[in-house]
Amino acid sequence: MSPVVAILLLAAGLSEAAGRLLPVVARLSGVSHARVVSLLLAGAIVDGAVFALWPLSAWAVAGLVLPTSASDEAALVWTPGLAAPLVLAGVLAFPLLGPLLHLVLMVGVGAGLAGALATVAGVGWWEAAGCVTIAGIALGVSVEAVRRLVVKLNTRRAPEPVA
Amino acid sequence: MIGLALLLLLGGLGLVLIAEALLARYEVLVYAAGWRTPTISRPEGMSYARGADPDRPPDAYLVYLDGIGKRRFHDTRDGGRLVKSLINRAPELRVLGQVQPYSPLAVPLADRPVWTWVRRHIGLLLFLHNVMQIFVAADRRYRPLYNRAVGAQIATELQVAGYLPDSGIPVVLLSYSGGAQVASGAVNELWSQLRTPLWLITLGGFHNGANDITHAQHLYRLTSAGDWIERVGTWIFPQRWRLFRWSGWNRADREGKITVHRLDPATHIGPRSYIAPEARLPDGRSHLDRTTDTVLALIRDRLSLTAETDGPLP
Repeated sequence: MSPVVAILLLAAGLSEAAGRLLPVVARLSGVSHARVVSLLLAGAIVDGAVFALWPLSAWAVAGLVLPTSASDEAALVWTPGLAAPLVLAGVLAFPLLGPLLHLVLMVGVGAGLAGALATVAGVGWWEAAGCVTIAGIALGVSVEAVRRLVVKLNTRRAPEPVA
Repeated sequence: MIGLALLLLLGGLGLVLIAEALLARYEVLVYAAGWRTPTISRPEGMSYARGADPDRPPDAYLVYLDGIGKRRFHDTRDGGRLVKSLINRAPELRVLGQVQPYSPLAVPLADRPVWTWVRRHIGLLLFLHNVMQIFVAADRRYRPLYNRAVGAQIATELQVAGYLPDSGIPVVLLSYSGGAQVASGAVNELWSQLRTPLWLITLGGFHNGANDITHAQHLYRLTSAGDWIERVGTWIFPQRWRLFRWSGWNRADREGKITVHRLDPATHIGPRSYIAPEARLPDGRSHLDRTTDTVLALIRDRLSLTAETDGPLP
């Protein structure tokens, strides 16, 4: 992985973490600044790692379900062009439109990955898209489970307003 | 080269979007996390309420929630005209106009140092910020906190202005435009803190219809065929559609709690708006006069009805 891609993925992880964390912090009571920053940094690393795993997972799924795709020399990896849109992941925090914008963003990035996978593995675009989708959903569900657990462990009732 | 330009554009745009995403929700997060507590401090010499004499209970408390132009404790020019007109014609009401519908911490935008610079250089951002606050208040992820924050702010303002919980004196939330989102959201908190008879009056109300207004006795919707901004609200928010039968708005409608009053041909804003003092009706009244008359007639009719059914108020 090139340094540019690594930085982009970390920035994307930070962006995704900020987008996820804002609505969660709205339900936390008495949380300190230091704790929010630590949650943000932890989220950035976790989300960045999940993004980093997406092409690898899609490549692995392709290897399992598409016999023609296996190749030891080539592998699906992020390029700066493919990873750059992920920096916008923070749109998730936008009111009302946030989740929809986030979904559109992920579909767009996934389409880019599918094209790259189709080229590298020598398979059809739709087959590649299926592998990218399966990998993306599996990663998304896994990390969401972790997030919910963290939220559950951190949620307390909001403070009574003081005049 | 094009790829690099696209990369820089996406990176820059992403940062701007993230900055806005942080800024627009920052205040409700600060409130929720308890990093700052709401304040009721006022500029020197500003009273907490106007109208009826504070030494004896008024017939009702009227809380005015202004539109997106609100950025200081004083009302906007149009909102100020309406409040002044109401106070002049209804000495029996105690009127509160200093609630900050777009600030969970009750801090006017004009009092924030960074916004002073923004106001001088990019004044439009003040309106965009308040518009964004309406959407924050409408978002299901932030709505409970936002509603609680502003509901608590109104409850505090009322108590400072002399309102006693369980006194039975009605509270009327008169909201203009985006203030309707906040007013409908404040109902539950007001009920839980003050247990007050609560009536809502929306003037060109822009809201998403998701808030539960079970604890409000009635909602009077003042609208006009010329008000396209209010109409946009009924289009873009699914909870306002008939299809969503169990939204707060549709439930209230089925229970007969919503009454529509037409103020045609008034517009939402501009020289022919609901609050315009120059625009004239065929009967010679200004739009401002008619809106004032309508609001006061609704309140007085409701007070008469309450007096007939419940007997004299304590």
